[in-house]
Amino acid sequence: MEEMLLQAEGINFSYNDGKRALSNINLSVKKGEKIAVLGSNGAGKSTCFLTLNGVLRPQSGKIYYQGKEIQNKNLNELRKHVGIVFQEADNQIIASTVSAEISFGPMNLKLPKQEVKRRVEHALDCMNLTDLKDRPPHYLSGGEKKRVSIADIIAMESQVILFDEPTSSLDPVNVKMLEQVLDQLTDMGKTLLISTHNVDFAYRWADRGVVFSDGSIIGDGTIRQIFEDKALLNKANLKEPILLQVYHSMVKHGKFPEVKESPKDMLELNKLLEIY
Amino acid sequence: MDRIDYYAYTSNLRNINPQLKAAVAAVSLFFCIGVNSILVSVLVFLTMGAVTTLAGGLSLRNYVAFLRIPLAFLLLGTFAIAIDISAHPQGQILFPIFKSFVYLPQGGGQLALGLILKAMAAVSAMYMLVLSTPAGEVIGVLRRLHIPKIFVELMNLVYRFIFVILNTQCTMKQAAVSRMGYCDFKTSCYSFGRIAGNLFLVSLKKSSTYYDALEARCYEGELLFLEEEKPVKAKQVWAVVCYFILLMLAFYVSSKI
Repeated sequence: MEEMLLQAEGINFSYNDGKRALSNINLSVKKGEKIAVLGSNGAGKSTCFLTLNGVLRPQSGKIYYQGKEIQNKNLNELRKHVGIVFQEADNQIIASTVSAEISFGPMNLKLPKQEVKRRVEHALDCMNLTDLKDRPPHYLSGGEKKRVSIADIIAMESQVILFDEPTSSLDPVNVKMLEQVLDQLTDMGKTLLISTHNVDFAYRWADRGVVFSDGSIIGDGTIRQIFEDKALLNKANLKEPILLQVYHSMVKHGKFPEVKESPKDMLELNKLLEIY
Repeated sequence: MDRIDYYAYTSNLRNINPQLKAAVAAVSLFFCIGVNSILVSVLVFLTMGAVTTLAGGLSLRNYVAFLRIPLAFLLLGTFAIAIDISAHPQGQILFPIFKSFVYLPQGGGQLALGLILKAMAAVSAMYMLVLSTPAGEVIGVLRRLHIPKIFVELMNLVYRFIFVILNTQCTMKQAAVSRMGYCDFKTSCYSFGRIAGNLFLVSLKKSSTYYDALEARCYEGELLFLEEEKPVKAKQVWAVVCYFILLMLAFYVSSKI
């Protein structure tokens, strides 16, 4: 039995304008999972992330971290263990140099100076930012800023990391780099939740998919189950990943018989083509 | 502003302990204002300029361009000291105007020169600091001087947001230009106003998302950053001590004359 890290039970949340942003959200996250959070704009993904980190407090429902219920007094416990990488790096970066920026989280955890220093250096190293450590944030490119915003969270050594649409402002090279970083984080034993509109990326990377629509979760299962469910995709306004479309039309045209596990990347597709 | 920040970031003197640089700048500033000697002012002006350009690596041309800004104000300001108007003829009369005389008062020229030199020396001392030390480090020095936290934190935020807002304004302006928003004077004024208003709204919204991002990283009402320690080298201390001795000597010499 894998360790249950983060649980949300019956979360309801409305913004001040009365709009229901989340209704009855139930979600459990196990250690080491790679979860893609899908859904159209305004479906509640970002709001859900903010409640899972404790920035927004739900009107009703409970959040547990490692089985402990989170209340106002141990809110920082939750924020310490669950980090968010915001969609716009510019909305997250606050300090005047890269290393000062990365130190902000660990400094707030009231760690000794030596430990902060070690964590900052480790995070700089992980994100390949060591050469840029004294640079002010306004002299960084978009991709570099994104790396800084991820390093921010790595330095806090959060167990769970939530990425709010990390691929939306990145070019293909940076998306590739991001995927390497994500693999690296998984190897470090982190649990990752990523909200994205990029279905190809989600299908390639994730193990599990959670689909939001109008503030509720309408689908939760392995990423293959999610993308094979045509009705679900329609309901959530999602497209089928290109690779899956190719696979289905190849099956339809008899290139190979339908297999139990549809291919997740080019490597697996090529393997299938070689076998048949 | 943008350029000063950039030169500070690329200066060769960047790795020198900021407190040391701030101390040199402050001592030079107060010394040349306090002793009121032309020799000291010239010395401070030349040494600070040399430190910024030769040691810091800023090109002389850029440095002179920076000096021109305060110089323009100074010349206009001291003009009034060097020249006076009186109904009675006195001093060296330049030309009569209506029933009065425009004249150079006794010692006025020297006073104006002394003032200009003193002010330029003070400016060059401050330039030495800001053209070699990024804003974050200058703020760090102020924090160590126990300036109230609220000011230090505000300075940090203001510094960061100047660039965020400049950037936003730049994109908004481009969007307006591309839609003929600046085609004539009247439209330009209108667009400028709309952008200014919009900037305010965007800033409000951004401040709330920023606050969320701060809270997400356990912000508890105090902005804490790790500051890099830049140890002072013995060589630098000797250079500073020599410089101070030189200043004292110049003061001694000028008081004897």
